[in-house]
Amino acid sequence: MGFLLGAFATRLSHLYLSVGLLAGLGWALVFTPSLGAVSRYFPTRRAMATGLAMAGASVVGLALGPLVPLLLDAYGWRGSLLVLAALSFNLMVAGALLRPLDVTIEMESPRPPAPRGQGGLRELLHHGPFLRYALAFVLVDAGYYVPHVHGPARAQEVGCDEQRAGLVMAVTAVADGVGRVVAGLLAARPTASLLRHLFAWSVLTGLALLLLPLGTSFGGLTALALAYGFCAGAIVPLQFTGVAEVVGAGRLLHAIGLMQMFESVGSLLGAPFAGWLRDLTGDFKVSFLAAGAFLLAGSLLILTLPSFFRTSRSDGSGTEGVPDPVPKGLELSSVPLSPPN
Amino acid sequence: GSAVKIELSCRLADKYSYMKILQVTWKRGNETIKHINKTENSWGIQLTISENRKLGSYTCTVTGEEEFSVAFHLQVPQIEGREKPVISYEGDSAILICKSHSYTPIAWTWYMTNGSEQIAINDSLMLDKYIIDRTDANVTHLKILKLTKEDDGAYWCEAAYELGKSKGKLKLKILSLMVPLKPFLAIVAEVVILVPLILLFEFYSKKKRAEDEKEFDQIEQL
Repeated sequence: MGFLLGAFATRLSHLYLSVGLLAGLGWALVFTPSLGAVSRYFPTRRAMATGLAMAGASVVGLALGPLVPLLLDAYGWRGSLLVLAALSFNLMVAGALLRPLDVTIEMESPRPPAPRGQGGLRELLHHGPFLRYALAFVLVDAGYYVPHVHGPARAQEVGCDEQRAGLVMAVTAVADGVGRVVAGLLAARPTASLLRHLFAWSVLTGLALLLLPLGTSFGGLTALALAYGFCAGAIVPLQFTGVAEVVGAGRLLHAIGLMQMFESVGSLLGAPFAGWLRDLTGDFKVSFLAAGAFLLAGSLLILTLPSFFRTSRSDGSGTEGVPDPVPKGLELSSVPLSPPN
Repeated sequence: GSAVKIELSCRLADKYSYMKILQVTWKRGNETIKHINKTENSWGIQLTISENRKLGSYTCTVTGEEEFSVAFHLQVPQIEGREKPVISYEGDSAILICKSHSYTPIAWTWYMTNGSEQIAINDSLMLDKYIIDRTDANVTHLKILKLTKEDDGAYWCEAAYELGKSKGKLKLKILSLMVPLKPFLAIVAEVVILVPLILLFEFYSKKKRAEDEKEFDQIEQL
């Protein structure tokens, strides 16, 4: 609806309200429940399922790369918004497909019901590890989007023309998608620690960002962008499944929503800050260095989480949502509870 | 206006220094210009450009066993138009923009093409149709209001400099709202068909599962 209304805008403020507010709201309302649903369906293979689901976003992102300029050339911006609105309505199809299994899983799961209502939300705000986790991702987001936003400009800065800049971005998107799936697969192994994987991938992403300024030719930039894309994509499924390790599966949805809200501060400020650094220094080198620094800072925060140093993996499906700083490994026996038949 | 003094010179590459030079000519079109011998292997001309006539292509030709030629093109700054057409819709308004980099033109003029003729656009005559923004001397905006199919076509922005004029071409393409509406309706139709289908299927399979469980219970009771 946001896109549809945006097609008829006659002033910039209309676009802020329609595409920005309405469409943004729609996307947010769709995103968290989708993640929650995927987590509910596959409690034992949450990371892999989330990885696959988020890889779908990469596919569309890749397709949109050439599609949007084609739409703009054929229909101008109003017509393009119209077509994109129609495509977005397909979200309703996806939503319809998501519903079937929900009731059956609820009936079979023996775990005690998670605390509902506002109490859960407020408790989260006092939950030390969760706050550190959320802050980690505020920092991560401040650096994460810099290549996505400034990538084409950087490519042109080192001499690539429009076509090649587009190619660099497309390669990054593909690497991102592959990274999401691979990270999900790697984390699906029973001995894997989600938080440690998350830490590893975010450190790698930070390093990739620090190295990005070294890409001064089309080939060099593409190679580094590929590395960045892969590692950055890997973070995505682990970020959302890692929440379960920090706060338990009962409060997963609340936690994801709250975390996303905090994150948006990071992502809102990150790209403009990088742009400001570029204007200040003349090129994007410092911008990428700063982005890498943000990523590494966020990674360090992940190190401080209590669940990080635990050796046994808790998939979170057996605990209730009670805030506890005591390592959960002592209470949980790590065996997923089997449903009675 | 102010005149520009400029010196053009051409030089024969070292690897040809063995060559015996028979003749060196500097020309503009058919007109030969007297040159000076700057060094053993280079020749130059000095020009004072004060009017449009003096612009053009100046060539230096060195004739020996082989003949080499090089040309200098003196011209006013070229205005870039846009290759891709600007797309807009009937009833909407469109803005066409031309920029002059580095040099500031004295004046800008917009032309629209009617058949094979170019007609200047006078915005003071047609206030409710055309608005020309002249706030920045290096940039000109032509805003066309209340677009109709007749506004479709090629437009020219012409920058006038002291020494001459330069034109850039832009294309405006006007579409009717029906054009993007077709793919829009097609995709929405697909959604409108799929969603009830899926929900019906879910409802049907839930009912079936309930019936199966009822049968199961009934068999257990027997």
